[in-house]
Amino acid sequence: MAVVAFAANEAPGTKNKEPVAEIYRPVAGKFPELEKAHTYRGELVFVDHVNRRGSLRVLGVGVFRRNDPHPFAMLPYGMVRYHGAPADLRDIPLGTIMHVTAYLPPDPKLSSVPVLPVDSKDRDANHYRGIGVFPAENHVLLLEDEPSYRQRMGMSWKFKQADLQKAPGIVIATLEPKPGVDADAADQKLTIDHATRVWRGRELLSIADLVAEGKKSLDGQSLQLGLTWKPCPDGIFLRLHISDIWLDDAALQRAAQNQTETHKAFIRSRWMPAHVDKVEYGKFGRAKVTVTLFGGMDPELYADFKKDGQALINAAENTLKHAGGHYGPAHMASKGPIVNVDKLPGSAPMGSSGIQVTMETDLIIEGIRPGKVVRIRAAIWPPVDLPREEYLGDGEFRVEDRFPTPAIFPKY
Amino acid sequence: MVLGAFAANEATGTRNQELASAVFRPEAGKFPPIEKAHIYQGELAFVDHATRRGTLRVKGPGIFRSTEPNPFAMLPYGMVRYHGAPADLRDIPLGTMLHVTAFLPPDPKLSSVPVLPTDNKDRDANHRRGVGVFPAENHVLLLEDEPSFRLRTGSAWTLKEIELKADQGIVIARLDAKGSEQKLTVDHATRIWRGQERLSLADLIAEGTWSAGTKKSLNDQKVQLGLSWKPCPDGIFFRQHITDLWLDEAALRRAGQRQAETHKTFMRSRWLPGWVDAVEYGKFGRATITVTLFGGKDPSLYDDFRTGSQVFVNGAENTLKHTEAGSAGPSQMAVRGPIMGVSKIHGEALTGSSGIQVRFETDLVTEGIRPTRIVRLRPASWPDVHLPREEYVDGNSGNLEERFPTPATLPKY
Repeated sequence: MAVVAFAANEAPGTKNKEPVAEIYRPVAGKFPELEKAHTYRGELVFVDHVNRRGSLRVLGVGVFRRNDPHPFAMLPYGMVRYHGAPADLRDIPLGTIMHVTAYLPPDPKLSSVPVLPVDSKDRDANHYRGIGVFPAENHVLLLEDEPSYRQRMGMSWKFKQADLQKAPGIVIATLEPKPGVDADAADQKLTIDHATRVWRGRELLSIADLVAEGKKSLDGQSLQLGLTWKPCPDGIFLRLHISDIWLDDAALQRAAQNQTETHKAFIRSRWMPAHVDKVEYGKFGRAKVTVTLFGGMDPELYADFKKDGQALINAAENTLKHAGGHYGPAHMASKGPIVNVDKLPGSAPMGSSGIQVTMETDLIIEGIRPGKVVRIRAAIWPPVDLPREEYLGDGEFRVEDRFPTPAIFPKY
Repeated sequence: MVLGAFAANEATGTRNQELASAVFRPEAGKFPPIEKAHIYQGELAFVDHATRRGTLRVKGPGIFRSTEPNPFAMLPYGMVRYHGAPADLRDIPLGTMLHVTAFLPPDPKLSSVPVLPTDNKDRDANHRRGVGVFPAENHVLLLEDEPSFRLRTGSAWTLKEIELKADQGIVIARLDAKGSEQKLTVDHATRIWRGQERLSLADLIAEGTWSAGTKKSLNDQKVQLGLSWKPCPDGIFFRQHITDLWLDEAALRRAGQRQAETHKTFMRSRWLPGWVDAVEYGKFGRATITVTLFGGKDPSLYDDFRTGSQVFVNGAENTLKHTEAGSAGPSQMAVRGPIMGVSKIHGEALTGSSGIQVRFETDLVTEGIRPTRIVRLRPASWPDVHLPREEYVDGNSGNLEERFPTPATLPKY
């Protein structure tokens, strides 16, 4: 029943009949090609972190405030980056402007967010909203806040005109291209106010602090910015707001370190996600299982998977929810020694760590099959039990738990 | 149809048949007496900020992690406090431990969250979750993070001892000098605030203030803490985690100032909420209207309502969503006119109220502006901005769910 309801979300019509050759969808067990992704930006408006989904108000060419929040779901190997470090959706403050790298739903029937016509990104949403604000590419590989994205791209911001004594007010800034790239850095108007956080080394300052120090402007200085959106007066279609300014590398490194520590503790308690590459069956339930760990985590976490160390592996869903957990994820997990840890040759595709772990177990279970998503814990990580909303119930099976429907999202 | 569905959320049975004398529910147009509230604590697990509701994992005597998040809704005059300053739900990070002062749903038929048996707070939830983790008092007057609650009640944490290991440490602390000792965790993501500095455990170890590997006395240092919850090892039912540690008053004052600035900007764009006390009807749509402004905002916002200046007043819902006709912004359908008087109510204002009444005149009184109804007000000096789509009710859409959100979308376990 529920599966039929998902399919019903896909808009009918001739444009929705996919010419197979032209449409690219990620396939279970394979990391998708980055160059086939659709990229856009949006304001984080809603988060359902336990199902790894939410809504973004997508930036387009029209009146930003009119864009209804657009649901998205993280791919199982989808990565969130905040302050230049790995993150979970729960770490991102509502209102943050995010950079999105996304695909069509891998399997529309199982999408936890509405499935749209595949050419939706090329359609005009009307009502002065413009083209591209409801992209069908709502399954996200990479969700990055502004400083994460700019650092990955080797870019920074520069203030051209910012009178700090006039805060709250307008800043004229430019995006500085990568060194060696000759690009026109167009002026952008941004707003700043007394709640803007200014990070300098280990200090958190306000604009008023800078003014009190005698600083009148930050013009010409290379900066990283955190961006949000606030409603604009005077009918302005879109103007972004500066929530954070990092004045130096030390400040940015400290922000990243703090976020990294948050995420390390998170992954140690929730286990490392991966997908199963191979199962070599033995006798009496024994098997050798090879998994590829998903990417984007702190290297320390990967280093905990060592040959001859012990590991636990539990079935999980595409939402990364553990299967079975009333007694903790370890209760139903398969256990055994790690027999090999391999670094795959070449550079890993986005979403993959490029690290394969092979472990042996004497209890292979249904959730551990090639292509399936699992979570794996190095036995040295703390054995903790998870909160109720982060695992599937034992013995009280509900389809909605495994395959959340888009019903949660308001329609406008 | 939809109203019937709300009523169906109320559990049946003799225990649920309310004895009118024993059950207190807030009434429209009256601020509830705080002594009739039920008070509890919980971890913020989900937020639907546009509809002013969410879920909390309520702290009880049992296994915290087994406790399903319990939906809550803010009362229209319900206040959120973060870092000792006014806040909106969107400002509170998921996972924050919050202090809750709440009541039964004022009108169960219109509740945006499930309506539970009125004695639910006294029932054992079983499965080792204990009594009181699903209180029916899920309509919130006051939602405060740890430092906000401690500042209001004049209390603080006293740090006795810390033992740091590789990834985590245990702090022994108590509330004030006489409280019982509690074990709390800290880790390398804990933010330590000192004046205008943000430090980490590593910084304090590097400068010799704290040391790794051994138990160190903290000499009953008085601090304020921000608290969250993380899954605990060793079958521990409940242990809180320190997200933030304010070492001095200056640091906490700075945090409060920043949050106050965030909320001031927010209120200026969303307008100040209040309710209508009286409408004195004139001729041809003219009326003089008296409104009580809701409480807990920065004083500078109230100061902007001045006799003789102009004000805009728009009908709103219990969720505080503006009503709009289409998408032309809240000013389009708002009534407007001069402020005839601003008065301070005698005596101490009840929690939820600012104690300030604004009286204004308009030549176009509309249906949403009736006694006890919720409105939002903007002095003409505030910026005229239009709101994002999810923050107003489109009167043209005819979608009942927009005005009266149902609990249907909240997850069930």
